[in-house]
Order: sequence, then structure tokens, then C-alpha cells
Amino acid sequence: MSGREGARALVARLEREGNALAEVLVKRGRTRRCELGPGGPVSVLTEEAGWAVRAGGGDGSFFACGSGAPPLDAARPRASGPALRLPDAQPVPAWAPSPALEAPLAVEGEARGLILGLARELGRQLAGARVLHAVLDDGASETVLVSSRGIDCGFASRLASLRVEAVVDGQPETRSTVEVVARGAHLLRPQALVRRLADVLAVRSAGSSPVRERGEMVLAPAVGARLLAALVPLWLGPEAAVLAAALSDRHDRLGSSELSLVDDGRLAGGALESPVDGEGVPTRRLVLVEEGRYLQPLVDWRQAAQGTWKPVGCVRRAGWREVPEPGISHLHVVPDPEVAPADLVSSVARGFYLLDAVGTPRVDPGADRFALEVCGFGLVQGRARSPLARGWLCGGIGALLRGVRAVGRDLTFLPAGGMVGAPTLLLTGLEIRRAL
Amino acid sequence: MPFVDLETGGIARCLAQIADRPDDHVEAFFEVATQESARGVCGRMTSESRTEKGLAVRLVRGGESWLASSDGISPEIFGRAVARVARARPGAVAPSPRPLSAGDVDAASGEDLETFAVAVEAAIASRHASFPVHWDLRRHRRWSRTLGSLLAPEQQHESYYSCVARTSWTSWGTLLLALDAAAAESVAQSLTRSFRAQRAPAPPAGPIDVVLGPAAAAVFLHEAVAHALETDTLGLAGDPEAALGVRLAADGLDVVDNPAGAPAGVRRSVDDEGLPTVRRWLLRTGVVEQPLADLRAASRSERLVPGAARRSSRHLAPVPRSTHLELLPGAASNEHLMADCGAGLLVGELSRGSLDPLSGRVELHFPWARRLEGGRLAGLTGPGRLEGVVADLLGNLRGIGAEAAPGGAGWCAKGGHRLAVWASAPALWISGFGAGS
Repeated sequence: MSGREGARALVARLEREGNALAEVLVKRGRTRRCELGPGGPVSVLTEEAGWAVRAGGGDGSFFACGSGAPPLDAARPRASGPALRLPDAQPVPAWAPSPALEAPLAVEGEARGLILGLARELGRQLAGARVLHAVLDDGASETVLVSSRGIDCGFASRLASLRVEAVVDGQPETRSTVEVVARGAHLLRPQALVRRLADVLAVRSAGSSPVRERGEMVLAPAVGARLLAALVPLWLGPEAAVLAAALSDRHDRLGSSELSLVDDGRLAGGALESPVDGEGVPTRRLVLVEEGRYLQPLVDWRQAAQGTWKPVGCVRRAGWREVPEPGISHLHVVPDPEVAPADLVSSVARGFYLLDAVGTPRVDPGADRFALEVCGFGLVQGRARSPLARGWLCGGIGALLRGVRAVGRDLTFLPAGGMVGAPTLLLTGLEIRRAL
Repeated sequence: MPFVDLETGGIARCLAQIADRPDDHVEAFFEVATQESARGVCGRMTSESRTEKGLAVRLVRGGESWLASSDGISPEIFGRAVARVARARPGAVAPSPRPLSAGDVDAASGEDLETFAVAVEAAIASRHASFPVHWDLRRHRRWSRTLGSLLAPEQQHESYYSCVARTSWTSWGTLLLALDAAAAESVAQSLTRSFRAQRAPAPPAGPIDVVLGPAAAAVFLHEAVAHALETDTLGLAGDPEAALGVRLAADGLDVVDNPAGAPAGVRRSVDDEGLPTVRRWLLRTGVVEQPLADLRAASRSERLVPGAARRSSRHLAPVPRSTHLELLPGAASNEHLMADCGAGLLVGELSRGSLDPLSGRVELHFPWARRLEGGRLAGLTGPGRLEGVVADLLGNLRGIGAEAAPGGAGWCAKGGHRLAVWASAPALWISGFGAGS
């Protein structure tokens, strides 16, 4: 029995068992992993197969999942949860699967060569730099979703990630990690990752930390995306609108006119590009902030009823073991195709070019404060003058969003519970501090 | 008992085909794991069940290893995994073992989970407190068996509970061996203290003496001793063997990893590479005696002893980790420790911790603490953070309590493995922590 036939048979069985609503997900996947660490290289090939069921009705519901094919006769958990609601089937706009889906997984030799090659290249680009740990994952999966509300769909996914942790010998404080994601290992750009890692290690090795300085800030995509990811409570779910309103100015503006923000589950070429979400609801592009004005939060069809917002297919499943929940897919700042990142850097009279985040952002929307430890360069008349080993970029969240003066064209995504993307950003109104 | 009837001889013959060099290590890992959970608010908790089974075959040769894993158990899946890790096609192919399957495990209802949540809320109410809690209670069970080309050790089984309570001000979690009345009282006490600590003043900042209660000492030792002495951590800085004989702590500190001495339910006689676990002295009178080593590290050293390999799932290669840490008790009663400490903080529990393996800096977060003034317990403080360099902190050990308490040290997430870790520790008095909120 195929995955789809098995899912249909299980939905029918669950209905016969007295469940008014039933939904079955069947997923199969393969992942190639190559890892380099202190113990030596590890090559892993994984075959994954799993299923998940949500069933019940107005009186209660349950969730069950397991490995292998969905079993028709398994014991079910008690339907003790809240009433279950499932979406109706909706027409799915035409969608052409990306050619990347067809690409085979990296073979062992390719994956191993890529990891060992980047370790060599990092040492060549920066004397004393060495890789502590590197992991390449290249995976593909096929998912089938069938429900008693008429949803009967299948879709494929392809995702590769490369995560590298490195240090400059004798300087443990330089330890840095860089991660990139693409739709397949063949689309990863390991040379770019090595250059970025070498730059970060170099400034963290040779730089200083100013006590307190203000000025214009140019945020590389990695820094902007980290901040955007930390601000997800402002963009996701019904409560987000309340937080955003509290941070808006007296003209009802959350951001500057340069700031537009969207989430797009169908983003062409996006790592998580898909025609439907984890419940089979069509995905689409949704504008959350338009030229500084907050339009609405990202909400699914259940949450949309709590306000006057437009729903979108945004329910995500981290895997077949996880209960589906609303989440971001490709949340990003809209880039300006006319602006080169180098132009933003050269426009700064005095300030900083922040290359990467060093730690986890601290964000307190209630107090309108944020802080993120960063590294980069001090800028004078558009030129890099002094490396910044680490310092806290801090200020108000509202000031951050309204301080965006220009955005570049180099939109880059990072994995952060979904994909979060930003181009290079030019900001004012923030400061760098040595300590909080 | 899913793996008692495995045809170990057939599996060993298949594995032997691909371990064709004298120093090769090959193993087959079979796993069945279940999780019953109840999530939500009391009276309306969603029952969830997760059941999975699968296998992995791994070959370790020299400094490299190859792993093939799958979400199923059958002769065909096993044969495919063997072929994938083989470095060359075997000349004579032994038949795949038959029969090869996992036996059934009994289903648990999950009703005891919701009953526990009700008991905790009643215990909170008895403390004259009340607040909404969103519960995530899970019963975790795993059966595993690791077979090699020469060894067929016994099946391992673990069973325990995790409890996460989400409130308007925090997300609090713990691991439990049983959902009994004592556990309900303990969870209620922690949550009530955390609730009251919201309005408490911030903890003092700067260098401070700290008495870590047994639960907090367990987390501290996991970060500062266990992680620091894992061979993959030591390997980041060079040769793990170089740690042997190094003084890491003050004289009185004896720390043992003893998987076979863990409480029933999480006791291990065999590690996840199929090797016998050992009672391992990590620190004897403050000196490193035997780091936590897996087979790969031990194969490169004559002085490192394997038997500490763990894996959170068949899909990941084993790594060296602690299972059950024991801090040998000292002579001081908890009252004496606090009296001798004089001024400082009593930290009863830690919500999380981390170790920077290169700098040796450890950072610990607590949900609440009590001030110590004149050697006596004073007011409650709000949440805060402790930090310092491991070698400095362990060198600043001032006293060890006489009463060790067993418990969960929490989830360890290092290296992508999510592992439950356990400990038995008395209170510790350490000076020179950096404190802050």
C-alpha cells in the first residue's frame, strides 16, 4: 500500500471508529550527514519514515504518531484534548516544483570532500584558524496529507544545511559559528561561508571593544536576520498585534518608511518553499509591515477569527513527531534591488559595520529594549578603520525598527525556527556598548 | 521486552562480514521508544502518543566512522544498513538474520500524567497560591540493544518522566523518576517559589559565595565536571589523554559517573556502543582520574576507558556523555554550610547551564534564590545568573554537604543529542561566583 493509500485507509478507519474529524500525515525521507569533529569524520545515511494522526471532534481530540507505515489497528490515545477543528480543502494555486527537488543527495565522497575542503580553506585564509566542528546535512522528503475535510495532497521537500564552528588557536574567545541553508547540498556556497567565517574570526581575534559609541550602523544580513528572528513575537499570532501597537509611535508607525516585512511560504527558491502548509492550506505571500505601517500579524485560519486579519497557510510541522503549530516560513525584510551593500557601507561618515552576531539576542518587547552582542568594524568616511571584537548593539525595539534608513539588495536567509531573512541594513539611533 | 528474542548469532555473522580489519569495531543498535504525553490545562489535556522503532549499523575504522539508520526493523532494512556502511562489498554474503523484529511494548494510558498535574495544582493551592499552568507531562520509555560481531550484551531499558510547566512568567521543567506524592510536592514547591520570586528583589551583583542545594549542585557538576571531562570536549583543545592527572578541583571533591548505580528506571549496565558501563572516577580528591570516553577516543589511547557512549537516537552516532553523576558527600550538615558561608546566596535549583569548552567559562541560571545573612536564610530573590571559570570555581570549593539527594540533572542538549542525565549530590559551598540578574 502506498503512503497515500495508507493515509486514506486510516482516515476512513478513524471515521468508522467514531471520530468526526481525522487527519493523517505520512512522511518518508532520506538524509546524508557528514560531520567533522574532534573524534574524526562521521558519515551517516538515514532513512526516515513516520506518520501522525489528529482525530476527534467536538467532544475531544488526540494526537498519535509513530515510525514506519501508519497502522490501521493500533490502540488510540484517549480523546481528552480540546475540540478538534481541521481546515476545509481549498484550491491550491498552480505550483511548479523546483528543479532542486529532483537533485540527488550528496554522495559520501562529495559530502566528505566539502567538509574537509572548507576546513583546509579556512586555515589557508586565516593563519591559526581551525574548524572545531562542522556538519553537513542534505535531506529530501515526501509528505502525504489526507483529512476527512477533503484535503488529499502530497508535496516534496529538499533541504541542506552546513554549520561550521571555528576558532583561532590560542584565542578561545574567538570561537564563532556560521550556518547556511539551501535546497540541496549542491546549492550551498561553502567558499562564501569560509570567507564569512574567516572575516568574523579575524575581527574577533584582532579587535577591541569600545566602552560606548553611537553612530550609523550597517548591519550585515546575519545580524539583521538574528534580530528579526528574536522579534518573532511581534509578527506571529494574535498577541503580536498588541505588542506591535505598544511599540508604534504616535503616528501609528512601527517602522521607518524603508521597512517592509513579509512572510512567504511559496517564496521561489526558498528553502521551505511549499504550495501548502502543514495542514494542507495553501501558502502565499503576506505583507506584515508595509513601509513602516503594521498591517497584521501572521495568523492561521483559526487565529484569524480573533481579529479582522487575513489568514494564510502558516501551520508548520517540525517533523512527524511534532504537533502542527503556526510558524514562520520565509519571514524577511523586503530588499531594495537598487541598493548595493557596498554603497550602504561607503555612505557612513562615522559608525560601525556589524558582520555577525556573537551571542543570543536579548529582547524585552514590554520594556522596549533589545541587546545583541556583535562583531565587525568601526567605519570612518565609509572605510573600515578598527576591528570590533565584540560589543553590545542595544537600544529600543521601536527605535531599531524606525531607525532603518536604507536596505540593500542582498537578501540572505538564516534558519531560525523557519527561515528568517534580511538584506544589509543601514540604521541610526542605536549604540554599541562594551557591557550592559 | 522487544529485543530478547533477537537472533544474535545471525546478526553477528552479518556484522563480521564488514569488520574485516583487526581493529574494526562494528555494532548494530536496535531501539524502541515510546512517549505518552498530556499537554494543556488541567481538565482539558490532550493525550498524545509517540511510538517508534528502528535500527542503526555503525562501522568504526581508525579515526572514521560510518552509520546507516532506519525507522524500521526487518531483515531487509538490516541488510541494507549493513551494505551501506560496508567499505567494500563482502566476498561471501551471510544470510540476513531471520526472524528480525521488535516485540510489542505495552501501551500506557497517560491518565497518570493528568492526575499528577491535578495533584501539583492542589499542592500549590495548599501553599495559598494560585496561577494558571499549561502542562507538558511526558512518560519516556526506551528499550535498546546493541550487538557486535563478538558481543551480545543484554537489552537496556529506561523509563522516566519529564514535566514542563508554562506560566505567564516562566517555563519551568524537571525530570522525574516517578509521579508520586513527593514529586508533586517538590514540583509545587518549586513553582510556588518561582511565582513568589517575581516580586522579589533582584539578586546581588558581583562576586559572591554561593551554597548550591543538591539539585543545583547536580546541574553545576554536569556542566563543570562532566562536560569538561568528555573526550569530545577535551579533544577540542588537543589530546584528551593530557587531562589525566590534572588537578581540576580542591582536595575534597570526588565525582564519579556510575550508570549502574543510577536509580531503578534509568540504570544502565551497557552503554550505547554495547560496552559494559564502569564506575568511573572523574575526579578523585580533585584530580582527573578517568574522563568520559567512547570507543573512538579509547581506541587512540591506552589509558582511556570506553563505556560512556550515549546516543539520543539511532539516527545519531554515539558520543561520550555522563549518565549518573555522584558527588561523594562531605561531613557538613546543610545548616553548618550556610552558617559557615555567612553572607551569600542559597541557590536551590538551576533552570539551565552552559559551558564554553575552550575558555572553561560556565554560566548558570537560577529561577529564584535565598539570601544568606549572618549564616541564616533571609529573603527570597528573583531570577539570576551565576558565572565563573570552572577551574577557579572548583578550586574555591569551601564545603560539601553530608546528605546527598538523588534526582534529575535535566536534559543535556550538547552536540544535538537530547539526553536525560541524572545525579546524586549533596549541597556545595563555593566562593567566587560572579552573580547578576
